[in-house]
Amino acid sequence: MKPFLQGKRRSAGYARDRMKLLLISERIDCSPQMMKMLRNDLIHTVKKYITIEEDQVTIQITQEPPVLHAEIPVLKKKDR
Amino acid sequence: MSEVIVITSGKGGVGKTTTVANIGTGLAMMGKKVVVVDTDIGLRNLDVVLGLENRIVYNLVDVINGGCRLRQALIKDKRHPDLYLLPSAQTKDKSAVSPEQMIKLTEELREEFDFVLLDCPAGIEQGFKNAIAGADKAVVVTTPEVSAIRDADRIIGLLEANDIRDIHLIINRLRPDMIARGDMMSVDDVIEILAVDLLGTILDDEQIVVATNQGEPLSGRNSQAEEEYRNICKRLVGEDIPFMSIRQKRGVFQRIGGIFHK
Repeated sequence: MKPFLQGKRRSAGYARDRMKLLLISERIDCSPQMMKMLRNDLIHTVKKYITIEEDQVTIQITQEPPVLHAEIPVLKKKDR
Repeated sequence: MSEVIVITSGKGGVGKTTTVANIGTGLAMMGKKVVVVDTDIGLRNLDVVLGLENRIVYNLVDVINGGCRLRQALIKDKRHPDLYLLPSAQTKDKSAVSPEQMIKLTEELREEFDFVLLDCPAGIEQGFKNAIAGADKAVVVTTPEVSAIRDADRIIGLLEANDIRDIHLIINRLRPDMIARGDMMSVDDVIEILAVDLLGTILDDEQIVVATNQGEPLSGRNSQAEEEYRNICKRLVGEDIPFMSIRQKRGVFQRIGGIFHK
């Protein structure tokens, strides 16, 4: 997952984003690698029913209370 | 009403011992009766930071094993009449003490002192468990670096798991110049990531090295770090002290230099 606006950002922004992701995964005991596997499984499951933009899928877990958010862009008929 | 506070961080080298020395001195200067306890058995350091290394006769392990009375092991700091050090043992290891024994010791200290400050060893093993056993509240020290923040988060989780919910954060070694150009996480960033209450922010200050070399705390050095340690002490006794904004103190020459760099 490469951060948006790469090249323009200074290092503190990367550090902040990396820490947010890492600490949340550590708190719920789900490693970044497992998050990647979860993402792949989600794509695999959803793909069986609808056409999606696979490389645009993002998943994240937000804090307090922890909620899993998955954003899965769906392709319209004419785009296929 | 006395308080037992553990100063911890997870990661080593972030400034726990310096923080204990300065907060201990600061509280003693405010007229509180303070004991600082080095719980890092086998790697003691609070004694050298306070400049009391030549006066150690007995230590924490001696007290716990009944080798001496508590009073015999306490070293009185001659510069600050209300400050005492209970040094750690240098020859034993962390398994020489159990959490139950530490609880008993802190209860004994609580009767004599207003503040019992426990300097916790780095790591999350036996030494950490011993240090937090008798504590009412915790001060977590971190720096704005990824490794220190990650360890601080782990420590906060472990403290909560051990029913210590009164947790406060000190962010140490802040560099306003680096924060301004976006190369160091800011105070707000760190608080957002760790989600605990802020107790204080300390700038990276070379006077800390100078003071430690001389075995003295920062008191009277007229540095920004000293001022902020004093604010931390006031917050610990319940005063409402606003947080200083982290701005770079620039001298005349740097300002002139700044004009040419534009």
